[in-house]
Amino acid sequence: MAGIYLHIPFCRQKCTYCDFVSFPNRLDVAEAYMACLIREAERRGKELENNVFESVYLGGGTPSVVDPDYIYAVMKQITKSFRLTKDPEITIELNPGTVSEKKIETYRRAGINRFSVGLQTAIDAQLAELGRIHNVQDFLYCASLLKGENFSADIMLGLKGQTKEDVRKSIEVAALGGAKHISMYALTPEDGTPIYTDYLNGELPDGDEVAELYDFGRKLLRQKGYFRYEVSNFAQKGYESRHNLNYWRRGEYIGLGVSASSFFFGKRFTNTFDLDEYMKCILSGVFPVIESETVSEQDAKFEFVMLALRTVRGLSAREYRAAFHSDWKTDFSDGYAKTRKYFAESGDRTRIRGEYLYVQNQILAEYMN
Amino acid sequence: MAKPNRNLRNFCIIAHIDHGKSTIADRIMEFTGQVSKRDMEEQLLDSMEIERERGITIKLTPVRMYYTALDGEEYEFNLIDTPGHVDFTYEVSRSLAACEGALLVVDATQGVEAQTLANVYLALDNNLEIVPVINKIDLQSARVEEAKKEIEEVIGLDTENCPCVSAKEGTNIRDILEAVVHCVPPPDGDTDAPLSALIFDSYYDNYKGVILFVRVKDGTVKAGDKIRTFLSEKVYEVTEVGAFAPHLQPKGMLAAGEVGYLAASIKSIEDVAVGDTVTGAERPAAQPLPGYKKAQPVVFCGIYPLDGSRFTDLREAILKLKLNDAALTFEPDNSVALGFGFRCGFLGLLHMEIIQERIEREFNLDIITTAPSVSYLVHKTDGSDLFVDNPSHLPPPSDIESMEEPIVKAEIYSPPDYLGAIMELCQDKRGTFRDMTYLDERRVRLEYFLPLNEIVYDFFDELKSRTKGYASFDYELTGYQKSKLVRLDILLNGEVCDALSTIVHEGRAYARGRMLCENLRDAIPRQLFEIPVQAAVGGKIIARETVKAVRKDVLAKCYGGDITRKKKLLEKQKEGKKRMRQIGTVEVPSEVFMDILRTNKDRKTR
Repeated sequence: MAGIYLHIPFCRQKCTYCDFVSFPNRLDVAEAYMACLIREAERRGKELENNVFESVYLGGGTPSVVDPDYIYAVMKQITKSFRLTKDPEITIELNPGTVSEKKIETYRRAGINRFSVGLQTAIDAQLAELGRIHNVQDFLYCASLLKGENFSADIMLGLKGQTKEDVRKSIEVAALGGAKHISMYALTPEDGTPIYTDYLNGELPDGDEVAELYDFGRKLLRQKGYFRYEVSNFAQKGYESRHNLNYWRRGEYIGLGVSASSFFFGKRFTNTFDLDEYMKCILSGVFPVIESETVSEQDAKFEFVMLALRTVRGLSAREYRAAFHSDWKTDFSDGYAKTRKYFAESGDRTRIRGEYLYVQNQILAEYMN
Repeated sequence: MAKPNRNLRNFCIIAHIDHGKSTIADRIMEFTGQVSKRDMEEQLLDSMEIERERGITIKLTPVRMYYTALDGEEYEFNLIDTPGHVDFTYEVSRSLAACEGALLVVDATQGVEAQTLANVYLALDNNLEIVPVINKIDLQSARVEEAKKEIEEVIGLDTENCPCVSAKEGTNIRDILEAVVHCVPPPDGDTDAPLSALIFDSYYDNYKGVILFVRVKDGTVKAGDKIRTFLSEKVYEVTEVGAFAPHLQPKGMLAAGEVGYLAASIKSIEDVAVGDTVTGAERPAAQPLPGYKKAQPVVFCGIYPLDGSRFTDLREAILKLKLNDAALTFEPDNSVALGFGFRCGFLGLLHMEIIQERIEREFNLDIITTAPSVSYLVHKTDGSDLFVDNPSHLPPPSDIESMEEPIVKAEIYSPPDYLGAIMELCQDKRGTFRDMTYLDERRVRLEYFLPLNEIVYDFFDELKSRTKGYASFDYELTGYQKSKLVRLDILLNGEVCDALSTIVHEGRAYARGRMLCENLRDAIPRQLFEIPVQAAVGGKIIARETVKAVRKDVLAKCYGGDITRKKKLLEKQKEGKKRMRQIGTVEVPSEVFMDILRTNKDRKTR
């Protein structure tokens, strides 16, 4: 089974931490861009006509900032060009400051059945600091529109001056709003973003403090019925994101739109990051791929281990054997010998023990060649 | 009996660091037309990169010149440039044995310095004619008459006709050359006698084999001659002889009195030793030339390849360096923490740093060096004695009756303002006051007896920082003294790390142990588990710090586009791990072994 990712590179304004490909001043070309997206979908669909897809994800940027009719049109093309399963998971990212009843209604008609809402924090001052265009009130309104829907809320850790109390409030607001799924991400200050300056100045919580907030949040989420199924993802039973699980199972996916990444035909490839270049390519009938890497057998095995160990479900020896016809503990005997003390194992499965999930890089590095 | 060329002059230059030795050498070469001004690189004789960068001479370098004197005759000069730093006295003594005279360069603004004196005495011991030269007369602060008076009073040389020059401006350079002609005697020797030539330096050339720098005392040598040395039975055929111009320039023959080089396809580095005598294989000289006193290393450290698989490269590098640095000693060593390497001995701290740098630069090898140590004399309970320079070779405390440590006499020169600070420092370093002399109202000389192990630790850095860089110091080994010494071990996660063990004075152990633990706590990256860092003396823990377990080391998001990025990140992390050493279960970055004893990180600015 495979996934489809669509990138919508527009937003109202850049958040201070954002290093995604998103253009705050280019909404004028949204219509043209969406038309290109449709053409790309059409062409990729032909290429992949023998594949079945079980999830679609519209990410950004802020997909909810463009006219919902465009989203409708793109989804229409997706269902036409690709073979989807009977009940695919179709997610769209929403900014709480850009929603309306009508928009949500259009999304529903377009087949979208899951919503990912960027709450980030339930402290208005922190939202302002991050350059978010919404406040807590907006989120609550958005949540009311999504009542009964399968929706997820994003929460960020590691904000300037953030306390456990702040995290508690954010989780409680998300839970009260009715989120079935919560993603709790540690902020990663990227070079080139405004927040990187804060990071360099030591104004952001350090690793230990973030870990402290994370542990606090993790326990609170468990109390509220959200179970960790991956490093940063928590869900009520049955509400895990199928689209994301596909990544961690090393499933195939096709990415459409500017800067979108794909993994198909044993290759990892990425579209151009340049908006105009992307449209030019599509209009001239070529794929706008700028990077392509064939994954070697050795790399593939490593990816499998690295991705599987991100999940609480862990690595299945049987699935590994089905993929590579070899035993993972033999393939990585050195790494495994060095790190087995950090694992919990039961039958077919090996997973990183809970207390080490957040320091897994040190464990995974042992599996690198 | 045939006398050597009467118009030959072999001389060297003695000077304190910064008194302008290399600049004078350059001017002399320029004046004699040896090199044109256009081709002149600043300080031509300091050809090593390190020498130029640090502005010091490390290696002796010979050069031949021709000079037409005022008397109308042409003279052949062989000038041998020599290092000024006390650590390289050994190099100096080698050049001296190849010369009949020495220029003593004195800075007109500074006067005679302690280190210069040591070399002057060496030259006098070698029966060299000494020609004083006053330099830097162009400077405002030049005190030419005072400098002359100092030379007469302190050294007892006549300065009436001594050249007063400015090497920088090129003033009065001819005076120096005339002085060489008239004051330095021509060499002795007999060109008809059997060949005997002193090897005063050597280096390895990839094409020609070992190149020997020789001073021919008797006889002649030319290409095709069969030669041997006194230390080796092997006979070689000379392939080339020549002069230093300053680059190697072949010539037909080297005769008694001359300085030059000799190549004989000598491939085995171990067959040649500086100080040995070259003689003819068919008509050998009856006995070798006196040679040199063997240099005694006083500072020791372990040198290991950063990449353990490059041990043989390291051995090759050290062998080649040894070829032109006879003072370097080494023996194979093995550390649990660092693998295979060498225990090396040096004449001093600067010598040690220079060798470390040369290995890295000239042989492109990354190395790990352990903290410097000195050689201790251990009296064992069974009545036997031994010297120990490697802390991990120290016998167990129960086998030790007593120990002695090397003591140096240190002379410290400073403006009087810093006397208090210096005295306090020497006190801290277990020093014993010996003498204090006001040289003039601006300069005081303090004499202290100090344990050498305090000096190799951080004395120099401390002295510089406490006197804002104004104090200078010099030391010489005076002997051994009984002392209460203990081995300080460092334990990482309960396991002793042999490469971090040091021998310290009992009274120092606690403070040193605490400092080491603190430094290690900061230098060892946090790992998945908590790491106790402990200092112990004879099994008793005296200090403890903890490297806390890492709490966050994860990529928060890992979706479609992140996978390649994440792989790269982990690759980097793995690379970092490769540069670490495994001590039991703990990974320790290689730099730790070198930096851990450096309280002052900017040591290199010396």
